[in-house]
Amino acid sequence: MPTTTASEHTPAPVAGVSRVGRPPAWLTTLAVLAVATVAIPLVYLGVRASEVPLSEVMVILSRPLVGELLLNTMGLSIAVSATAIAMGTVIATIVTRLRIGAARTWLLISALPLAVPSYLASYGWLVVVPSLNGFWPSWALLSAVTIPYVTLPVAAVLRGTSADGEAVARTLGLRPTQAFWRVTWPQVRPAAIAGGLLVFLYTLSDFGLVAMLRFQTLTWGVQQAYAASFDRSQAAVLALLLVVIAVIVVAAERGARGSLTRTTAIHSTKEPLSPVVRVFFTVVVALPPVVGVLIPLVGLAGRLAEATTLRSLNPQQLVQATTTTIGVSVAAAVVALLLALPLAALAARYTNRWIPTLEGAGYLSNGLPGIVVGLSLVFFSLSVLPALYQTVVVLVFAYAVLFMPKALGTARASIEGVSVDLINVARTLGASRFQAWWRVTVPLALPGIGIGALLVAITTMKELPATLLLRPIGSSTLATELWSRTAAGEFGAAAPYAAVLVLVAAIPAMILSGVRSVAKEEL
Amino acid sequence: MTTLTLSNISLSYGSRQALRDVSLVVPSGSLVAILGPSGCGKTSLLMALAGLVSIDSGTITVGSRELSSAGHRVPPEQRGIGWVPQEASLFPHLSVGDNIGFSLPKGRRRTERVEELASLIGLQGFTDRAPGQLSGGQAQRVALARALAPAPDVLLLDEPFGALDSVLRHSLGRDVARILREQETTAIMVTHDREEALDLADFVAVMDNGRIVQVGTPLEIYESPATPWVASFVGDTVELEGTWKDDALNCQQCGAKDFCGPAENRLGCTGHVLCALGDVAATSQGAEPTSGDTVRVVVRPEWLVPSPSGISAKVRGVSYAGHDALVEFELTGHPERVRARIAAPFLPSVGQDFHLALRHPALVFPVEHHEGALA
Repeated sequence: MPTTTASEHTPAPVAGVSRVGRPPAWLTTLAVLAVATVAIPLVYLGVRASEVPLSEVMVILSRPLVGELLLNTMGLSIAVSATAIAMGTVIATIVTRLRIGAARTWLLISALPLAVPSYLASYGWLVVVPSLNGFWPSWALLSAVTIPYVTLPVAAVLRGTSADGEAVARTLGLRPTQAFWRVTWPQVRPAAIAGGLLVFLYTLSDFGLVAMLRFQTLTWGVQQAYAASFDRSQAAVLALLLVVIAVIVVAAERGARGSLTRTTAIHSTKEPLSPVVRVFFTVVVALPPVVGVLIPLVGLAGRLAEATTLRSLNPQQLVQATTTTIGVSVAAAVVALLLALPLAALAARYTNRWIPTLEGAGYLSNGLPGIVVGLSLVFFSLSVLPALYQTVVVLVFAYAVLFMPKALGTARASIEGVSVDLINVARTLGASRFQAWWRVTVPLALPGIGIGALLVAITTMKELPATLLLRPIGSSTLATELWSRTAAGEFGAAAPYAAVLVLVAAIPAMILSGVRSVAKEEL
Repeated sequence: MTTLTLSNISLSYGSRQALRDVSLVVPSGSLVAILGPSGCGKTSLLMALAGLVSIDSGTITVGSRELSSAGHRVPPEQRGIGWVPQEASLFPHLSVGDNIGFSLPKGRRRTERVEELASLIGLQGFTDRAPGQLSGGQAQRVALARALAPAPDVLLLDEPFGALDSVLRHSLGRDVARILREQETTAIMVTHDREEALDLADFVAVMDNGRIVQVGTPLEIYESPATPWVASFVGDTVELEGTWKDDALNCQQCGAKDFCGPAENRLGCTGHVLCALGDVAATSQGAEPTSGDTVRVVVRPEWLVPSPSGISAKVRGVSYAGHDALVEFELTGHPERVRARIAAPFLPSVGQDFHLALRHPALVFPVEHHEGALA
């Protein structure tokens, strides 16, 4: 999500006018309420952690296990981000700058791993190679799944930048690799680093994949501390440690992406490649989707086709898990949208000193690991609303808190995308403020807002760690069923749940992310 | 009565003042062009007129109805002021017909009115199309029809042809001006294109830095600009230094005699100026200088014409434009160079000797105007 910076310094009369106006009080009130609602559980986590005496905090932090968890987490996150930055930049360059054929299709294919939840990829691999465990498999699989976070923004920048710069550098005596480093890399570096920080956050937050591959990180530590003992203090301190790392990374990501600029597509001629080189580059581009999507799906399909799988299937349980999953996801999408809309309308149409801060607070939960939000809601509901603890209400609320930023981003962009000129024209044609909103803004922004809500629903279906902590006793979702069966080594019994999850969550996500990335390219 | 009156309007965004004490009267049924460089406040003026922003002081009235004053603003939907924005801004989710009929209540009357307006803009049969299927010029026509649909008292056009290529721009501009005159609509058109303003408008208001510097007919603005800045903004200029002389006019001897025709002193000459072009008749703009004052002399390149009996000069450069050319001359015995617009059949070549005469009174400004205009 690139931000425009130029227009904010000098309010040009045309663009600035409508944003200078004072936002209506009711809108501001609703937006503040929404932000407060989202922030409450997180604030509460801080309160809960601060209740742990400092001496105990020191004891917890000095445990050898905690040091190991921290080391594992940081090592994995750094390794995966570095891999994603390198591979993502290379793949984006191949797809946009070299003539490998069907460039747009390859770009779509390279985005596919985004749709696959990490634990599904690890499940698929475990079916094929049950002995996988530890750092290297975790690194390889997480890299395959997260490379698109770098590939897509870098490809967008490359498509918007003329390749002539590199050509000019060549005529000035630079070799191809030198030309890339001195001309192209400085242009894509902000996008690559911003993408890399997202990958870092993803790895930091990941729970399902590392737990399945038995690589112990902080998220695993939080879950263990909560589930295996009643040492809630240790869980709170570890969660807070995750928050601190996440906040530092989010702040760094903000700084990095501030320098991104909006670009438009430029067509430049590409040199033909020799067949050998072309095959090599195609293999490089295909590597992440094959590792992250194709092999897990093949493993899943193979296991699904086995007779024992079908015999062990409990159709009633599968249907129940599916309906629960869809039900809570739709509810989460609605709640997230209701929370996001006032803030989105405020941020899209008005500006003053504190609206950016308010909007920033709305994105607060964006970088937080699901397990942290889950844990904070456990604490919050236990002490403030004990009647709601382990009910579907808290679960849906947790999803809404976690994924509201997704709805906020798309809703804001959709509303902002409706030109202020159109609203002004409608006003001069006799439409009141409300009529203009209803006849112009709503019909034009609705598709985008709908896609945002759909994204929230799909992401919710795939959510695992918060669901594990908060789901009502006796009920389960597709993700938790897949998780618990895989954890118990019942790969066959897990297969139908994985298959349905792919069907309801991964495929729509693929279509959506395809549509969205294509739409971004076209704009 | 739809005369639009702006009295002493001021408007600022934070610390930046966009409009300073702007007053203007737009007579009922006339087309007024607001001409100015970008950032001069012309778009802010339109926004204030449309009621999209509040003004800090002054009043805006149409007929006898007050629309804006300090602390009071009739909302845009109740002002009866239509607006054609810079880039058509058609509603992308509505057909051409629904765009035109946006302001009209649904029903048979609306369909009829939409058809009527579609044929007025020459786009009958286009009403079912989507805005995306229109060319830039067609979209701009639809935006015009949409604004005309509720029969507004005043229509505002914000650089309506800015996004179009020059050929289309010219013909569409004429069409739009014709339609506005046929409908007897009072209209204000904002532009930074001087030819468009001079060609289409009944009156031109020149704006700079939030102020209206001069209002007049296109002829007045071009031939009697109030300041050297206006002179150079609305056309090419040649600037010289001169000495003002209060000598009695001798129209019979004047080089511009033919231009004045039988009506003596048609251009209001007030004296003579002695400069590199000789002793020429001149009109002083603003305060009348006293004899012997050093003054700033401004003439237009096309006022200098080939004349065997004129002052001698040497051709130093030719900037060719097909139908004519701007020719740079070095005047014999003077360090100053002048540019003259010479029609194609009379084009000299570089280095050639030439003779020039001024066929229009020179414009004379006080010298201190110079710094003021540049600041």
